[in-house]
Amino acid sequence: MKAFENFDIPLSIKSKLLQYLLIIISSIFIVQLFYLQIINNNYFNLKSSQNSVKGIPIQPIRGIFLDRNLNILVDNSPTYTIKLIPAYFDTSKARLVEQALNLEPYIINKLIKANQNYSPYIPIRIKKDASFENIAWLEENKSFFKGINYTIELQRSYPIVSGSHVFGYLKEINKKQLEQKKDIYMLGDLIGSVGIEKTYEDYIRGEKGFQYILVDSKQREYGRYKDGAFDKPPIKGYDLVLSLDKDVQKVAEEKFQGLRGALVAIEPSTGEVLAFVSSPEYDLSRFSAFTDRKYWDSLLIDESKPLFNRATMSINPPGSTFKILAAIAALEEGVIDENTTIGCPGSFSYGNRSFKCHGAHGNVNVIHAIEHSCNVFFYKLIFKIGLDKWASYARKFGFGNKTGIDITEEVAGVVPDTKYYNKRYGKNGWTQGFLVSLGIGQGELSVTPMQLAFYTALIANNGVSYQPHIVKGYIKPGTKEIIPFKFPKINTGISQKTFDIVKKGMFLVVNGAGTATAIKMNDIPIAGKTGTAQNPHGKDHAYFIGYAPADNPKIAIACFVENVGFGATWAAPIVKEVVHAYFNKNKNTVKDSIKVTNKR
Amino acid sequence: MKIKTRIQSRFDIYIFFAYLILTTFGLLGIFSSTINQTGPVAYNFYKQFIFTIFSLITLYFVYKQSEGFFNNISRPLYIISIFFLILVLIAGKTINNSKSWLSFGIVNFQPSELAKIATILYLAKFLTERNINFNNFKDILVSASIGFLPTILILLENDTGTSFVFVVTIVSMFFFKGFNPLLLLIILSPLLIIFLSMFGIIPIIILLAAIAFALYILKPNIIISIYIFLFDLISSFFFQYIYNILSPHQKKRVEVFLNPEADPKGAGYNVLQTKVAIGSGGLFGKGFMNGNQTQLRFIPEQWTDFIHSVIGEEWGFFGSSLLVISFTVMLYRISKLFTTAHSEYSRLVTVGIFSYLFFHYIVSIGMTIGLFPVIGIPLPFVSYGGSALLFNTIAIGIILSFYKHRVSI
Repeated sequence: MKAFENFDIPLSIKSKLLQYLLIIISSIFIVQLFYLQIINNNYFNLKSSQNSVKGIPIQPIRGIFLDRNLNILVDNSPTYTIKLIPAYFDTSKARLVEQALNLEPYIINKLIKANQNYSPYIPIRIKKDASFENIAWLEENKSFFKGINYTIELQRSYPIVSGSHVFGYLKEINKKQLEQKKDIYMLGDLIGSVGIEKTYEDYIRGEKGFQYILVDSKQREYGRYKDGAFDKPPIKGYDLVLSLDKDVQKVAEEKFQGLRGALVAIEPSTGEVLAFVSSPEYDLSRFSAFTDRKYWDSLLIDESKPLFNRATMSINPPGSTFKILAAIAALEEGVIDENTTIGCPGSFSYGNRSFKCHGAHGNVNVIHAIEHSCNVFFYKLIFKIGLDKWASYARKFGFGNKTGIDITEEVAGVVPDTKYYNKRYGKNGWTQGFLVSLGIGQGELSVTPMQLAFYTALIANNGVSYQPHIVKGYIKPGTKEIIPFKFPKINTGISQKTFDIVKKGMFLVVNGAGTATAIKMNDIPIAGKTGTAQNPHGKDHAYFIGYAPADNPKIAIACFVENVGFGATWAAPIVKEVVHAYFNKNKNTVKDSIKVTNKR
Repeated sequence: MKIKTRIQSRFDIYIFFAYLILTTFGLLGIFSSTINQTGPVAYNFYKQFIFTIFSLITLYFVYKQSEGFFNNISRPLYIISIFFLILVLIAGKTINNSKSWLSFGIVNFQPSELAKIATILYLAKFLTERNINFNNFKDILVSASIGFLPTILILLENDTGTSFVFVVTIVSMFFFKGFNPLLLLIILSPLLIIFLSMFGIIPIIILLAAIAFALYILKPNIIISIYIFLFDLISSFFFQYIYNILSPHQKKRVEVFLNPEADPKGAGYNVLQTKVAIGSGGLFGKGFMNGNQTQLRFIPEQWTDFIHSVIGEEWGFFGSSLLVISFTVMLYRISKLFTTAHSEYSRLVTVGIFSYLFFHYIVSIGMTIGLFPVIGIPLPFVSYGGSALLFNTIAIGIILSFYKHRVSI
């Protein structure tokens, strides 16, 4: 220890040492305070306000849907959601609450446990879509069950028609969608996922509002931020005016009860869809706000595929309804005229195959061939037109392409031509014999009911119309003015003369000695064409396309019924009822058009 | 002017003025952070206010006493405080994980606050009266055990922060009494270097340079110098090993101190929120009762150890600087007594009081501005706590009394 002996520092140096230490540390403190409070003040200010001010989103009111006469088709109705704040709730009362609200036993404890990682001041939803009785009970026992309250949320309701495949539904936003539209949506937001709800999402969504509240570190609310000076009220979404007619839609839906199929009715001059049915439907109200899991699962396993939009997604050969197209092509191409007759001995042989007609029609011209749906006439006719010419006419009417209807779930179908067959079978893998069935709308031709409806509308309006659509426009808030959406005009470029000829035939189908005379109505003359498409998997599909009144069409309809048999028996009567419903309501217009008819 | 000078000659106005500023800041901070609370906390301001009045009266009586009085009571006071420290271990009330409170009805008493003063007074008496020879191992052991007995008892209460304070206080008193600084250096430098090695290589280099400088000043023989230096160097390399001995909880604390943003909702949360509170204060602060971090309770128990964050947020750079300056003035004035104290006894007591106040000040302000790890010790005169305020005031009273009898140089 010798090295350490007699060793000390003078007192004054010791004092100075501590004094310097004091001054240095205090200076460092001042510098650091300056750095934090003056230089980095903005950064910490931001952090501080983000910390303690919480923006609570207020969901906007989603725009509602009105029909063409401004009847409400899709509305918002209030629904009660019961919430629980774990911090204030006495869990020993959980069973009582579960019993009173008809909840699953022990669900409250489970939910509290599941949310353990969050602040106990964040409310948990314990019952969605609560009944009025639940709310009444809650109001009565509020003081006893602390920490339980309810909020009103809006959910879709469908007061008049089902319209499941037109209106569509909302779903909770998925990760991918959220990433793309981060600035608009938040986790848990609902977004239009099918139908008009999806297509017009941007119009009907509205704009979220925000209420700014002060929260403490445990997310406990402490009041309004600056007394609500920065709050942003939500902006309601635009209401949409649909072209649908509630009565027509309702009748069409009713007539399809128990049947599978689709019906689309279009106003020929505008392309506006008056009715849109795909059957079976599903109950949209059980999808609103919160999807009912069990119901969803039952829909998925249902073999009648209720979620499948048959109007725009099912593709089948259109059968005899397509004979009109062949007639138009032949007339336009000049391979026949009104008077050209073709002999029908009752069957047609091609190669070593024989194709049957339903009767021997003798020498028929195009009008009577349509009237009687003579197969032989059209077997022969398509050879005169040629495959590619025929296909080009089919495309003029929109076949082989999506119609552009304003719901996104749509398919294009197939219009076979040389290129198609070459690709499919190889250059020498197919023969002209394939054309025979195409002549009568069979074979590899496949179309959607939506396409057929638009085709009918084009025929009815002499080859000119607008891209079919279900939504006419939106209502401007304030002025209540309807701002129409614009849709492209479609012109087939086909001559009036041709339409006059085929329409004569179509008139006779119902009003002459044709295949659908059973649906003849004296006051409203319908023109149309039946179709029966063979189906390798079961009974034939029934078709009827038609428009009315025959001489001044206001409505064009395509009707498709799956696996039932003849078009005339199954599809035509539905069309009749729909036409009847449309004109019964608009009696004046019908009378006007009848008067015109009589004059002629 | 003349009158003032005369008062100044018998009573250190600066210390007293700084004391008044600090207690006032304390009352404002406590008021702001607790008055809107629910439960017993809401009465904190009133309790502290009553204690402030009571402390001021006590200050006057302590100031009136002479050095001999403190010398006389130091031994019984020390024994009483040890008794209380043992009692608190048996019958104490646990608040915030520390079993360091004795409950007397509405008043909770913290014996460790009494023990601080008592230990300083008695250790000073022991070191001066016995004429301790620090070259004698037995003397070192006896005087060290006087200091470390309460330290260990407090450590048993799970109050690590306060035991730190004791260590610092005892070491400085030893240093001033003439404990060989070289020996201190040998004992303390490896600990310091391990602590600093957590901050990267630059602080280590600075410290090694400082040690080299100290060795140069102290001039021990060259071989010992090299031994000391190498020992420090090796201990810094052994840091990793020692760090691995730490429990995960302790490791986490160290990591959080080094980078609070890494774990914002966990242990680093308080550090981060405190920095946000202070940083958002700006030049003049958000105004009394207007600090949202404070009012919204982002920092737990802000009226105790984290009180500076309330002042920093609501009074800004202006308030925080005033706080720092007040402490600096007070401590500087106290340090003046190191050389002017009437006796060695009063000098050692002054050193003890200076050291513990200084340490509290460094840690409590340093941790709120991210310069020091979070060690839970309150800010003297400012933080809520009746017994702490009372005994800190007694300490100031003792200093003022010594000042009265100082020798002028």
